Amino acid sequence: MSETSSDEARRLASDARERVRFEEEALDLADQVYRVARGLSRSKEEAEDLMQEAYARAFRSWRSFTPGTNLRAWLLRILTNLNIDRGRRAQRAPDQQPLEESDYFLYNRIEATTGETEEERVLERLSQDRVPEALAAVPHDFRDVVVLVDIGEFSYADAAQILDIPIGTVMSRLHRGRRILKKELAELAVDSR
Amino acid sequence: MTAHDPCEWCEEVLQDYLDRELTDAEMKEAERHLAECPYCEKRYKFEKSLRRYVYQAVTEPMAPELKQKLSELRLEL
Repeated sequence: MSETSSDEARRLASDARERVRFEEEALDLADQVYRVARGLSRSKEEAEDLMQEAYARAFRSWRSFTPGTNLRAWLLRILTNLNIDRGRRAQRAPDQQPLEESDYFLYNRIEATTGETEEERVLERLSQDRVPEALAAVPHDFRDVVVLVDIGEFSYADAAQILDIPIGTVMSRLHRGRRILKKELAELAVDSR
Repeated sequence: MTAHDPCEWCEEVLQDYLDRELTDAEMKEAERHLAECPYCEKRYKFEKSLRRYVYQAVTEPMAPELKQKLSELRLEL
């Protein structure tokens, strides 16, 4: 083998090792990525499709990942972008509905309508089965941030990086998104009484 | 910081407090208020439990078949 071709062979072997390491690390994070995918999707099937699309894209574009940076955030960026593309195709008008003034209103409302005063008992008035439905009703700009921070457990800064929006926007969307979610939960709680 | 109604202030910062995104001084002030105000403490506990509740409601383990499918998406060597 000539010197050039053996250099080439070494380069290819090193490239392959790097790629395998990347793929293994990405697969090790799949459970955490899935948690966000599930939070962003209306159904398990939709979450699974989104995961496959995101991982196929991640594996194809592995060279654009800089080793040593945050792989979980990089994967989530691919996933949320794919989800935004899907969401835009089917998006309703942006949410403009007025929100409750008080952040405490869900608690206050359940307490007032049921007479429950212990926080755990108040919580029992909500149906856990209907949480995905309530979350799905939150417009996606807000839902993305709520899911990344509250389900994916990302910091505001990581969520800003993933969604490519300023940190102030993360904070305002999070604030509004959580309020919308509580409003949806309050409606479901009242419905199921 | 305490010039206005402390309960109103607490309500305003409660979500950031739960996210641990307040300054150290604000965190301490919120802790102090929650320790002495049963009204806000109750609502704080509710909000904290609500987060866990929402988290648990949408957290289900990934199906093993999906993990297998993802693994199959790896590029050929």
